[in-house]
Amino acid sequence: MNERIQHLKEKMLREERFASIEQAKIITRIYQENEDRSIAKKRALAFKAACEEIEIAIDPEELIVGNRTKGVRAGVVFPESGCSWVNREFEDLPNRPQDRFSVREEDIQYFREMIYPYWNNCSMEEGIRREYGEEIRHISRVVKINQTDHAQGHICPDVGEWLRKGPSIIRQEMKARLYLIQGEEREFCECVLLVMDGAITYMNRYAKLADRMSVDYPEYHDNLVQIAQNCRNLTSRPAQHFGEALQSLWFLFVLLHLESNASSFSPGRMDQYLYPYYERDIKNEGLNDEQALELLECLWLKFNQIVYLRNRGSARYFAGFPIGFNIALGGVDADGNDTYNQLSMLCLQAQKEIGLPQPNLSVRLNQNSSHELMQKAIEVVARGSGMPQFFNDEAVIEPMQKELGVTLKDARNYAIVGCVELTTSGNALGWSDAAMFNLCKTLELALNHGVDEITGEQLCEDFGGLDTYETYEQLEDSLRKIIDYYIDEMMKAEEVVEKAHQKFLPSAFLSCVVNDCLERCVDVTRGGAHYNFSGIQMIQIANLADSLEAIRKLVYEEHEIAREELLAALRNDFKGYEMIQAKLLNKAPKYGNDIREVDEIGAKWAEYFRERMRGYRNYRRGPVHTGMYTVSAHVPMGENVGASADGRNSGTPLADGGMSPSYGRDMHGPTAVLKSVSRLPESLTTNGGLLNMKFLPEFFETEEGRNKFETFLRAFVDLKIPHIQFNVVRKEDLLAAKEHPDQYRSLTVRVAGYTAYFVELDGKLQDEIIRRTAYEDI
Amino acid sequence: MKTSDSALVFDIKRFAVHDGDGIRTTVFFKGCPLRCIWCQNPEGISPKRQVMYMKSKCIHCRTCETKAFGHQLTWVRDHPELNFTYYGTYDNLVKACPAGAIVYDSAAVTRQELLDKILEDQVFYRDTGGVTFSGGEPLMQGEFLLELLKLCKENGIHTAIETCLQADTDFVKEVVPYVDQIYADMKFFNPEEHQKYTGVDNRIIRYNIKLLLESDARDKVTIRTPLIPNVTAEETNIRAIASYISSLYPEVCYELLNYNDLAGAKYPMIGKTFGMPENTRRFKAHEMKKFYKAALDGGVKNLITETKAKERK
Repeated sequence: MNERIQHLKEKMLREERFASIEQAKIITRIYQENEDRSIAKKRALAFKAACEEIEIAIDPEELIVGNRTKGVRAGVVFPESGCSWVNREFEDLPNRPQDRFSVREEDIQYFREMIYPYWNNCSMEEGIRREYGEEIRHISRVVKINQTDHAQGHICPDVGEWLRKGPSIIRQEMKARLYLIQGEEREFCECVLLVMDGAITYMNRYAKLADRMSVDYPEYHDNLVQIAQNCRNLTSRPAQHFGEALQSLWFLFVLLHLESNASSFSPGRMDQYLYPYYERDIKNEGLNDEQALELLECLWLKFNQIVYLRNRGSARYFAGFPIGFNIALGGVDADGNDTYNQLSMLCLQAQKEIGLPQPNLSVRLNQNSSHELMQKAIEVVARGSGMPQFFNDEAVIEPMQKELGVTLKDARNYAIVGCVELTTSGNALGWSDAAMFNLCKTLELALNHGVDEITGEQLCEDFGGLDTYETYEQLEDSLRKIIDYYIDEMMKAEEVVEKAHQKFLPSAFLSCVVNDCLERCVDVTRGGAHYNFSGIQMIQIANLADSLEAIRKLVYEEHEIAREELLAALRNDFKGYEMIQAKLLNKAPKYGNDIREVDEIGAKWAEYFRERMRGYRNYRRGPVHTGMYTVSAHVPMGENVGASADGRNSGTPLADGGMSPSYGRDMHGPTAVLKSVSRLPESLTTNGGLLNMKFLPEFFETEEGRNKFETFLRAFVDLKIPHIQFNVVRKEDLLAAKEHPDQYRSLTVRVAGYTAYFVELDGKLQDEIIRRTAYEDI
Repeated sequence: MKTSDSALVFDIKRFAVHDGDGIRTTVFFKGCPLRCIWCQNPEGISPKRQVMYMKSKCIHCRTCETKAFGHQLTWVRDHPELNFTYYGTYDNLVKACPAGAIVYDSAAVTRQELLDKILEDQVFYRDTGGVTFSGGEPLMQGEFLLELLKLCKENGIHTAIETCLQADTDFVKEVVPYVDQIYADMKFFNPEEHQKYTGVDNRIIRYNIKLLLESDARDKVTIRTPLIPNVTAEETNIRAIASYISSLYPEVCYELLNYNDLAGAKYPMIGKTFGMPENTRRFKAHEMKKFYKAALDGGVKNLITETKAKERK
């Protein structure tokens, strides 16, 4: 990391984070001025206005410019999707437990007087609440329906195509079509023209600002002139140079966030589509790797400047404002051959040097992955920022074809969005974060006559309880019925949410970079994408398997614990029943130890759930599939589940990750964990799976250790596990960081599918990360 | 009890990365002919199954007290004190303890069961890893070990043993062809000291080392000395060992193992007392250097140090 990067990084981390209502003001004004127009048109006009008016800034040391606010890391209030929570929580933003933002008094006042009253009745959140709020609330203790108050995101746009065209050519092409089409298609086309105009203006403003600043900052004159030239070129033609390509890429992502304020737009396979620009400049323009790295590092810092403002509750599920700029390096090419290049290595080097939470860096592995790329990736893992995470071509490509009907070529070109969600590149609206389904809660209801163990509320029909089930099979029957009931309710709610996105959040700009929206002249929210999936997360297989196996073995098989006794123990959170808890913990096998019987219980129920999903289509007529990841939701979702038969206390976190075993229950080391996880068929995780592991840094200190780690990863590939990530950090480090946060500001840890600053996490989540199993004796 | 069909195993450690090349599974057999005062695996010394009490897992529920026969235990304040000299089995207590705090230290395992266990991690062994037989003393398993090694080789598994070499020379000769890597301890050069701290003198051990280092199998062998403060960790001892083994084979691999200061933890679980002073610590890097120097002075060319595990030929 050179001096420039060091400066820029320090400046960025020093800057105070504010909640911003600047764009909210613009959007509100445009909506008010255009009451008679369609929402699609209003959205396009508001986007264009934001491009023209949003205050912009350039740091004279930057090589890549652009942001959606003048300040960095601002929490942008976005009223169209929903702002009632902002109204409720505005004052709390600086003090809430997770993801704090400073607020300006005058903003709160303006928001309350001018913004909120207008949107109170016409935001998407309100629309959903009015139509289906009661139903969503009714199932909320089992199912968390996502995307009810913000745009979906989780999309990997076709960046390569954007680089090859840029806004001017897209504009030209659409203009030519405008007069050939009618009706809705024509309106879509008009919206595209508006947003492309906006994009061009926005780039031009940066060009002008850089021009002006080149006079004011003579010591950075050459830099700023170069920036001005890059930005100006991009307004009229596609990117030609490596630097322009990076600038163009960054503009694309800023504009996507300006339009949608969504979490996660992913650059995807950057080492692949940027390589031609890099190669050309290396050959013809005298670019060297040092310069290329500096440019990449400037972009890496940019990825950290856009954060995502969530409400208090959501910030707990997705702590650390993950924004999910997910980059996937390596992997197979369209012909199935392993591919990586010097740019892959430079991206890893940038991550190694910068070590911040974004981008969310991923490396795709396969049976032919090169030793060179793997060793470089391991070097970065050893730095302890939790990245890169690893994905497994052998576990992703084939199931994607089989389960989702994706072509072989598209499946080989998969990328990652959000944390660990899988997608094709540039042609899918995966809706991967549709909902989270708490299977542990359904087991609680099945044991307890449909009554919530924590609140005593009757949540669903009474299909019986542990006291009435004479056999284990009767328990399974009830569990099936309860799962079926909630799946059905969930899918009804999903339809409402998807319809609301179509109605309230048509996204013309995004549609320009997702195939086949432009060809079809159909907005991406209306099913314009080539692939349209929805992904449901199954939470949490480890606890479910451990609980069911304990009941099967200790209650029904060995009669070690009486049914009434277990029920009483669970209802009393084991108070006065410590021996029962000890038996549950110690006398029944646990998932994560390579014990086939219990692992297969987990797989069996996940497969049941997956099978049920095959009976549904989403509102965009695409398939619904499943994933196994929690982000940080295993903490709040665990709070919602009473004591469970795996010996877990009421309200404590569920297993983390998604495929990981419960904390401290995996007693046979990491190879046994991988073997257990490998018993989950890959068809269960086409939406993404997550496996967390923690290694101590000593392991990476010798070449021998790193080679053994590579061997471990190659076995992971052979075992066809879709994902794995590693926290490499000492327990003492974390304890010290909790004690002295000021000294550990840049310490990053893997939360779930993403990396966050440890000191910025809620204390409870910090404790939980500390507790995660460490393989301390390796 | 051990028969030729089964052996007592007190631990099977998967993902063992310090017991040889690659990722390995290490099998720890019960029974050892030596009585080293610093022994890290005291439960491995006796060839018989023993009961263990793990205080950290105990929930103090007193279930054991109510289920105990006559002399099995006494309840003292908040925990049971097991009578380790009780003549019968402890099946009743092991079954009754809900927390798994009272357990047997080992289980009898058949060759097939062990092979299955070893094969569980075959996907991780790849080109380099495999199984390591340790203990206790694996060579005490005789026929059982020999047949198991053959089974492993039939299944294409790389094999290693960790041994003190206090074993019948003919048996050593028989085993060696089925072992890919041999880690053999030489703790003292001086027979009297060996006698004093391990309970046996080192004549047989030296004879076996000589045999190995002069045989075709010598490149499979690494000689190891555990550095026990004020016991084996004397420069004169290291130099003498180094000079002895390199005179037998100049290219011999020699490894110095730092003291493990967590070694004493297991003693109370089986009702024994650790022979080393409580505050004995590992050597720091700079202290290790003088031992390395002694080894090099003694003529060793292939020294394996802590920080840099040497590439084997």
